[in-house]
Amino acid sequence: MIKVSKYFPAFLLLPALAFWVSCSQQRQLCLTPKTASLTMEMMHKANDTTTLFTDTALPSAVFIPLTDNPAKRNAFVYTRGSSFAVSLSPDTTMCMWLFATDTVSYQSKTIDTITFYYARQLQFLSNACGYTYFYTLDSVHTSHLMIDSLHIINTSVTNNVNTKHLQVYIHPGF
Amino acid sequence: MSIQSICRCIYILAFSAAMVFGASPVFAQADTATIDTTEHVVKKPDSAGHQLCLGFDIVSPVRNSFYTDRFSYEAEADYYLHNEFYLAAEAGWGGSKVDYPDLKYTTTNTFFRAGFNKTILTRESKTDWDMMFFGLRVAYTQVDRSAATFTIIDSMWGNTQGTRSGRNFGVVWAELTGGMRVQLLRSLFAGWNLRGKFLMNGKSFKQDAPLYIAGFGKGDKSAVFDFNLYISYAIRWGRKKF
Repeated sequence: MIKVSKYFPAFLLLPALAFWVSCSQQRQLCLTPKTASLTMEMMHKANDTTTLFTDTALPSAVFIPLTDNPAKRNAFVYTRGSSFAVSLSPDTTMCMWLFATDTVSYQSKTIDTITFYYARQLQFLSNACGYTYFYTLDSVHTSHLMIDSLHIINTSVTNNVNTKHLQVYIHPGF
Repeated sequence: MSIQSICRCIYILAFSAAMVFGASPVFAQADTATIDTTEHVVKKPDSAGHQLCLGFDIVSPVRNSFYTDRFSYEAEADYYLHNEFYLAAEAGWGGSKVDYPDLKYTTTNTFFRAGFNKTILTRESKTDWDMMFFGLRVAYTQVDRSAATFTIIDSMWGNTQGTRSGRNFGVVWAELTGGMRVQLLRSLFAGWNLRGKFLMNGKSFKQDAPLYIAGFGKGDKSAVFDFNLYISYAIRWGRKKF
C-alpha cells in the first residue's frame, strides 16, 4: 500500500530554493588587485638649513618603465601627486624606471633612473584571480639628477595598495 | 592536516553529542536526609526496532549536468540507534577541471563524513519513520591536485608563464546539518539536507586551494552552504510487538 507522508508538502518547500542558492556562476569575478605595486612617497627638504622633510606634491611627475619591448615604454604623467605606484617586472628580478619630477625636466632630459632589485614569491590569489608574484625588495639604486636619496621603508611588495614602500628625497634645490 | 585541526573536530563532535545525550531528564534532590524522594523512571521500551537506511544523492547528477568544470556523486547511510537518534555516514567522490586562459589544473577526491542525526519530530506510531532532524558531521578527504600551469598577465612587462607542481593534501571540515525525510513507500524515502560546512585546516592548502572539493564545495572558501536530496531505501528488523 502506498502511504505518502503528511509532511510531504513541507518536504517540497525548500529544495527548489536551496538548489538555486547552492548553484553559482562558473568563474567568479576577481575583486582583488592582481598586480603587486610598489608605492613611492616623495619627500622634500623644506629649506637648505633644516632637516625637516615634508610630503612634496610634484606638479607633473613622469614615470617610464624600461621594458624589453621599446613599444611599451609609455610615459605615465601624474599631476599634483606626492605618492606614486609602479609595478615590478614579474619576468626578472630587476627592473628600471625613468623618473622626471615634471614635464619640463623630462623635456630637458633631466631624467633619473631608479633600479629595483628584488626576489619574487609566487602567490596564489584565488581561483578567480589566478597566480601573481609578490616581491621582497633587496635594494633600490638611483641616479642623482633630481633625486637626492632613497629610503626603503617596507621591503614587502604585495597587492595591498595602502602600503608605502619607498621614500624618494628630491634635491633641496627643486 | 594538523593535530590541532583533528582535536578541534573531535571536540566539536564530542560537545554536540554531549548536548544531545545530556538532554535526558535530570532530577534534583531536595533534601535526601529527611525526605525519601526516590523516583523510579520507567523507561519506555523503544519498540521501533532497527532500521538501516541506504540512499544516494539525486541532486549531484543534476548539478553535474549544469557544471562543465566539476562533478560529484554521493551516497549516505544511517542506522537508527534509539531515542530518535541515528548514526550517519556519507561518502562520495568527485573532481574538477580548471581550464581558464590563465590557470589550468585538475583535482580528484573521495570524501567521507561521519556523525549523527537527531529527530525532533514526535513519532506517531512505531511504523512512522518520517523525520525532521538536525545533525553534525566531521568530514575528511584527500585531494589530489595535478600540476597547475599559470600565466601572469602583465600588459606592461609582458606575460609570465609557469608551472606549479601537483600535490596531495588532506582536508577536514565540520558540518551542521538539518533537514527532513518522508516516507514515499513502505521502505522508500525522499529527504533533503541543508548543510553549513566549516573548513578546519584551510591554511594548510591556501596556496593550492582547489576550485572545488567534492563533498565540501569551493576550496577557497572557509564556510559554504550546500544542499542534498536523497532517495533512500530502508531495511528494518527486530521490531517488537506489544
